[in-house]
Amino acid sequence: MLSLVGRHTGRRESASVDVRSAFAAYKKIMDDNSRALEIITDMGETMSGGYLFDIVYLRKAYSDLAVSMRVCLKDFNQLTAGRYPGLASAFEEIDERIDGLVSGTVRPLERLTVRLGDITPPMAREVGGKSFHLAEIKNSLGLAVPDGFALTIFAFEEFIRHNRLGEAIASLESDGDEPGRRRGLREQILAGGFPPSLEKDLAGSLEWLRGRCGDCRLAVRSSAEEEDGIFSFAGQFETVLNVPAEAGAVEDAYRRVVASLFSEEAMAYQRRLGYHPGSLRMAVGCVAMVDAAVSGVAYTADPLGGDRGVMVINSSWGLGKSVVEGAVDADRFVVEKTPPYQVTERVLGRKETMTAPMTEAGVQEVETAGDRRHASSLAPKELEEIVRQALAIEAYYKRPQDIEWAVDGNGRVVILQARPLRMKETAPAENKAAAAGRPVLMRNKGSVVQPGAVGGRVFFASSPEALDEFPRDAILVARHDSPQYVRVMPYASAIITDAGNTTSHMASISREFRVPTVVNTGVATSVLKPGAEITLQAGEDGGMTVYEGIAREIIDEQHDTFLKLEELYEFRRRKYVMTYITPLNLVNPFTDDFAPENCRTIHDILRFIHEKSMRELIEASRHTERGSSLKRLDIPFMDTIHVIDIGAGLAAGAGGVITVEQVVSVPFKAILEGMSFPGAWRKGGVPISLSDFFTASMRTGSLLEDIDMNLAVISHFYMNLAVRFGYHYTVVDCFASQRAASNHIYFRFLGGAADLSKRLRRIEMLEIILDHLGFASRAKGDLITATITNISQEEAVRILDQSGRLMAFTRQLDAMLTSDSAVKEYARKFIEGEYELFG
Amino acid sequence: MSARIMVIDDEKIVGDMAKISLEEEGYEVETFLNADPALKRLHETVFDVVVTDLKMKGIDGLEVLRTVKQTHPDTKVIMITAFADLDVAIEAIKGDVFDFFPKPVRIKDLKESISKALAEES
Repeated sequence: MLSLVGRHTGRRESASVDVRSAFAAYKKIMDDNSRALEIITDMGETMSGGYLFDIVYLRKAYSDLAVSMRVCLKDFNQLTAGRYPGLASAFEEIDERIDGLVSGTVRPLERLTVRLGDITPPMAREVGGKSFHLAEIKNSLGLAVPDGFALTIFAFEEFIRHNRLGEAIASLESDGDEPGRRRGLREQILAGGFPPSLEKDLAGSLEWLRGRCGDCRLAVRSSAEEEDGIFSFAGQFETVLNVPAEAGAVEDAYRRVVASLFSEEAMAYQRRLGYHPGSLRMAVGCVAMVDAAVSGVAYTADPLGGDRGVMVINSSWGLGKSVVEGAVDADRFVVEKTPPYQVTERVLGRKETMTAPMTEAGVQEVETAGDRRHASSLAPKELEEIVRQALAIEAYYKRPQDIEWAVDGNGRVVILQARPLRMKETAPAENKAAAAGRPVLMRNKGSVVQPGAVGGRVFFASSPEALDEFPRDAILVARHDSPQYVRVMPYASAIITDAGNTTSHMASISREFRVPTVVNTGVATSVLKPGAEITLQAGEDGGMTVYEGIAREIIDEQHDTFLKLEELYEFRRRKYVMTYITPLNLVNPFTDDFAPENCRTIHDILRFIHEKSMRELIEASRHTERGSSLKRLDIPFMDTIHVIDIGAGLAAGAGGVITVEQVVSVPFKAILEGMSFPGAWRKGGVPISLSDFFTASMRTGSLLEDIDMNLAVISHFYMNLAVRFGYHYTVVDCFASQRAASNHIYFRFLGGAADLSKRLRRIEMLEIILDHLGFASRAKGDLITATITNISQEEAVRILDQSGRLMAFTRQLDAMLTSDSAVKEYARKFIEGEYELFG
Repeated sequence: MSARIMVIDDEKIVGDMAKISLEEEGYEVETFLNADPALKRLHETVFDVVVTDLKMKGIDGLEVLRTVKQTHPDTKVIMITAFADLDVAIEAIKGDVFDFFPKPVRIKDLKESISKALAEES
């Protein structure tokens, strides 16, 4: 990497000035960065479902975020001498999308068609729910789905514009009885012309598809915005089957599907769900027809009896239409969802007719050959394969699914569609009583990252390689959190760790995938046994319980509550904004993917800025002062601190590796003394599990060393120290000169619990202690900031020494703040110098 | 009989979310997008608690409060608003509002406040 200094001046004599200005810029960027993260934390919390919020809040919060992002980007641009122009464009693109969502306008023209394999999460809305789910099943789960592409909502808008139908749609009344107008609209759509741009894109996509599947026939299906989301719209819109893969035929089918958006039934359904007429846009999916020998439907729970331990599969010969529409007396299998997937009920239907494709186009009902009517349409192996795939889909979406599948001529199972299964509700009161009798393995340990209730077998992640063996639906139990676990997120039922924090990358991914996750329990790996079946219940209120065995009654209860809130269209629409803000795609800075053009969210941009700014500063210092100002300092109990001396902070002649004794920076020396004060760490009698805990955190620390490096920038009177201390990120900034008026200490502590009870405890304890030390403190989310100004050098040294001890003490305490009463007690112990908590 | 709660807010999502969350607690919940029909409804039925937005077009939350207190002195009023406006809050408290929340309102807090209001009532 080019250094800032090398690029700008190339002169060694001005080097220390340059590292200083680089540092000033770095410091400012870190401030911008944490302001943005603070807003994001607040938005995430507010829109989690636990708050009543209105559009005013959302607009204000996002506008604040956008402002701080622009400032941050400007400062970053300055520090890096404009070397990442792609970052600003990445932000503008994300900003435009969010702005569209917040203000209710989406930008007018995007891709008109997109292949299933190219569909990514931000495109969910453009391609509609049905195509998006199919793409996820193909791209994320790797299951077989038909080849195909989507005609997006932009294609729909283009079609509507071209045929000048916008006004007719906009004037549909919400409660008007106007069948004539709707009929007129449908007729205009059916007679509508294709805009040249759409015609061209469609022809290209069809050519590609023919190249994939030869002279295949297509299913042209509705995939409206929101369809197959919470509301299934099942059967409301048209599907045209067995369409030749030629432009004319597909265009006709497209018009029919689009017109069905305005059918009487579909309009009534939309009204009932609270959609304003004409507000819904229709994307359309074109997929190759599967030459189905057998087809059917799999429900991953019994939708009527409510039993979520079994799967119900209906199947019949030929195409699935007759099964889906309930037109045939199909075979019915009830199968247990745990290996060996025992069939508990097997009822063979009469299957008198089946759906078959016609030669020209379309499908027809034909009589089933006599000998096949009474034979089982599925062989045991096929049934098991369907069960396995359906389980994978259910695990991915975290709720029961209604899946259409087919078995092709080669015996291969192909997934045609998946959507949430609507369940009959369960009675929570009874269930709580049932759970009361269960043995409890853990209660109220650690911090809840993502609430939820799930059951599964414990799987110990002893090393990254072990993840290769990770069984679907298992509960990942590990000593510490790691972004490595993203690999198994789509399959994991839950994650429980001994150490870790709620703001880690893993935590953000857990939320993104909605995997119930609890970190920092301190004891998970010693209490939970590999292979054992357990149920984790992690509450919105931050409480958690791990029960022995699979507690179905608890698991089922939570699905229902969750669904209810998510049923609100407006709630989902607003929360959708967060998909452009919180998910983290840039995980590993050592891969080529770690680039501005891959920033798809605000979080990605912040991550990129943080990483590159830190490197920029280190590079700047490496290339200054005869290339040796970056030093290493090793002290017990924590990872190497990288030290940049910008002026008389170290004793003359200090080499590349320095010792505490060589530090002459007044503030740095003081805090180091506090941090390495033996009593604040531990004394004899430390339980073994705790030392294991330390070892685990040390290991992760070094694993992530280059990502979250400990860094101190010092001069004789100044220090800016950023450390990952245990699982907390702490920044201490101090000027401690002879002039009290210009002195200050700024203390920032980030990390730990996201759930309220734990957070309040930690905040409360830190506040008591910081107040005692004379700081003015302020807490927000996981972040606590405290400042003190106008203090003598002696006072600053004393407070820094105490702050160093506090950092160590808090680290030690992390797993122990389990009750409200403990807060004052531990605060008192610290203030009175009783650091020894174990023994 | 379960307690009856009325929620008035000119943004649909606020009422909808409140309805879902409060129904979970076993309350009967009715929501209104503005105060006019809400006050008419109050003439027909007694509500135990009225949760109202402060700033609304037409009749605002303070007027709702005054009307409720005149006609149903036992009904508790909880005020919510997008702007944490201290002056208005003070006036609302003078007007015997049971509780006051700036938006975004933590649902847990609202539930706690409602259950306190109901306890006081009985």
